[in-house]
Amino acid sequence: MTIGLPRMHREAGERRDFLPAFVSRLGKLGLTVVLEEGYGSGMGFTAEEYGRNGNARFARVDECYRQDLVLVLRYPDEEYVRLMSRDSCLITMAHFPTRPGRVASLRAGGQEVLSLDGVVDDTGRRVVENLRAVGWSGLEVAFDVLETSYARFAHADRDPVRVTVLGAGAVGGHAVHAAINYGRVERRRRLAGAGVAGVIVSVLDYDVTGIARILESLLAQTDILVDATRRAEQSRVVVPNASVGLLPGHAVLVDLSVDPYDCNLDPPAVKAIEGMPQGNLDRYVMPPSDPAWDEVPACVPTRERRTAVSCYSWPGIHPRDCMEVYGKQVLTLIRVLSEAGGVQGVKADGTFFHRAISRALLSRWRAGS
Amino acid sequence: MSAAAGGAAAKGNRAAGLAVRTVGFPRMHKEAGERRVFLPEFVGAVARSGVDVLLEDGYGEELSLPARNYRERDPGQIRFVDRQAVLQAQLVVVLRAPERDEFELLNQGTCLLSMLHFPTRSWRVAELVRRGVSAVAMDQITNDDGVRLVENLAAVAWNGAETAFDLLERTLPGLRRPDGEPLSVLVLGSGAIGRRAVDAAVKFGNLDRRMLLMAERHPGVTCTSLGRAVTSNEPAMHRLLSQCDILVDATQRTDASQPVVLNSWLAWLPSHAVIADLSVDPYLPDDDPPVVRAVEGIPRGNLDHFVFEPNDPAWSNSIPPGIPTENRRHVVSCYSWPGIYPEKCMRHYGRQLLPIVKTLVTVGHDSLSPEGDLVQRATYRGTLRAYLDGSTPRERMSRTASTGTGGDE
Repeated sequence: MTIGLPRMHREAGERRDFLPAFVSRLGKLGLTVVLEEGYGSGMGFTAEEYGRNGNARFARVDECYRQDLVLVLRYPDEEYVRLMSRDSCLITMAHFPTRPGRVASLRAGGQEVLSLDGVVDDTGRRVVENLRAVGWSGLEVAFDVLETSYARFAHADRDPVRVTVLGAGAVGGHAVHAAINYGRVERRRRLAGAGVAGVIVSVLDYDVTGIARILESLLAQTDILVDATRRAEQSRVVVPNASVGLLPGHAVLVDLSVDPYDCNLDPPAVKAIEGMPQGNLDRYVMPPSDPAWDEVPACVPTRERRTAVSCYSWPGIHPRDCMEVYGKQVLTLIRVLSEAGGVQGVKADGTFFHRAISRALLSRWRAGS
Repeated sequence: MSAAAGGAAAKGNRAAGLAVRTVGFPRMHKEAGERRVFLPEFVGAVARSGVDVLLEDGYGEELSLPARNYRERDPGQIRFVDRQAVLQAQLVVVLRAPERDEFELLNQGTCLLSMLHFPTRSWRVAELVRRGVSAVAMDQITNDDGVRLVENLAAVAWNGAETAFDLLERTLPGLRRPDGEPLSVLVLGSGAIGRRAVDAAVKFGNLDRRMLLMAERHPGVTCTSLGRAVTSNEPAMHRLLSQCDILVDATQRTDASQPVVLNSWLAWLPSHAVIADLSVDPYLPDDDPPVVRAVEGIPRGNLDHFVFEPNDPAWSNSIPPGIPTENRRHVVSCYSWPGIYPEKCMRHYGRQLLPIVKTLVTVGHDSLSPEGDLVQRATYRGTLRAYLDGSTPRERMSRTASTGTGGDE
């Protein structure tokens, strides 16, 4: 069995590729690995580091997409998917539930896809995820900004920093934990050692009655406002842009949900914090003067601004750590696929991992399942 | 060939190649309210791996499950026997660890799979070693990233929060504050349980209640989470506690000899306030230094008794002398929070444990390898052997385990 590992042709700041140790383990499973030229170079790895044990070779991107299995973390552009054989399987974060157009297109083309975000165990827990890194990376960057924008940040006599988190799901939970630790344990230790007051985190469910009134009293004393919502209605604003003006001037807006804007929908899809620009790995800190605010679609008001931190791929802020986590999680799936002779051998009522993988195969996935 | 001989031959074939031939399931006799047993679907799945399953007489009665519900899963493999016979199976599976005196009944070479909490139960470790019993601690079976694979922390948080809101409905009718503001929940600790407690608290501990209250335009819940830097700040705690409707202890202390909330601070809480104890740390007055609870002067409950009024006798007869208890509020506390909903709890644990039990049956405790597949590696980390030889990171466990169980047994 062969496996292609193409690079992620995204923004320049997207430096992530699977690590040499992961590729080496694929070889030990008996797989022939085809890496796209330049693989790993974004993180400083050389071709020699990947090719040491002889099971991996480098090739052009199109050849990578012509292998039995194709593994790429972020969903590739359609032009690459079209290069694949119908007998092969694309392994990627395909997000079936929220990408109906993608699902329809893949089904029309008869392409099999194993969606990494859909691999769940019998209790519904995701097997491949790095939600912790979403919460921690976002809060780390937010506190980095606050440390420079808030003059009293390190003063021993200041009041506790106030963080408000919208949404209490898995990402929100990690955000709470990260916030209490100032986004970085070393920073908490340093400040606690200097006798500086800590952090108070307030968490709100995003759709409580009268949230506008509650928020108004909270926002005036909020230093960091975090969007960790998972809204059923993407058109519903939680913090109107006008309310952003209630925040102190030094406050930081944190976007962990990274929901998109779409003014073509009726009603338009908007972020929970109205006006917040969308970032990526090239640009994830956006002060009020940043052009990103002016690039927000015209149907969205952006008059009230604070420094915003937003990144479509928060775990990518620390690419090595991120790929170490994903590598461990994905390797087990590849091992199962290898032992099963490919996705066709995966049994819906088989072992723990057979069942988990089966739930994430496009050929077996149904909307709402 | 007779039917009996044929059955025996078939059984022999089924068991061929297995490291374990008998799996025993004892009942849990801790308190009357402990109704949890493994469900027939789980027991049947274990039997189908080819082993003889021994269930303690009466197994399932706690959940009104008749014996036939178990037997019909695999009539040839599942038998009801007395407790002693169950404890002499090659693999013994029970959620809560047997009592100290029952260790005598375990055979040398038996493997005990249970919530054993090695880092905080040194007597248990010593006893297992002395008797030559192999053991796998469910609570220490972790994946490569240190994430526990057998846990029900969500049930700890949700059941605790649900019970706290149930009680608050009595002390604060309609769950509406006189000032019309959202309910205020203060969560101490932001670890795995604390994070889930926040999620449960902002949803009133129960999704049906949330829907109902939202339809009635309830102003909702504001949940505040704190770390140590703030809990040690008395003026800040005064402000927070005086506005607090539910105080949740989800702490995992590094120093269990120091309370986080002094008993005198409880006087700042409104009289209707409820304290939800999710950490369920014990009082250990004879330890050096003595171990105290994070919220000073509250009783610890179990499945028989988990709601405490301020005048409950437990305040005076279960809290060691010398611990101040003058300031009291309503308390909910349970050593086994998931056990509040026993069937749901055991379905959850059954799903998590099945691959582990199957691995122990096919591979055997002694052949578990830290280099094996994911389940085998994880199970290996839970073994007493790994704990004793240092393969399991003791420092991490002892730091996070605190002295209680996190209420997840």
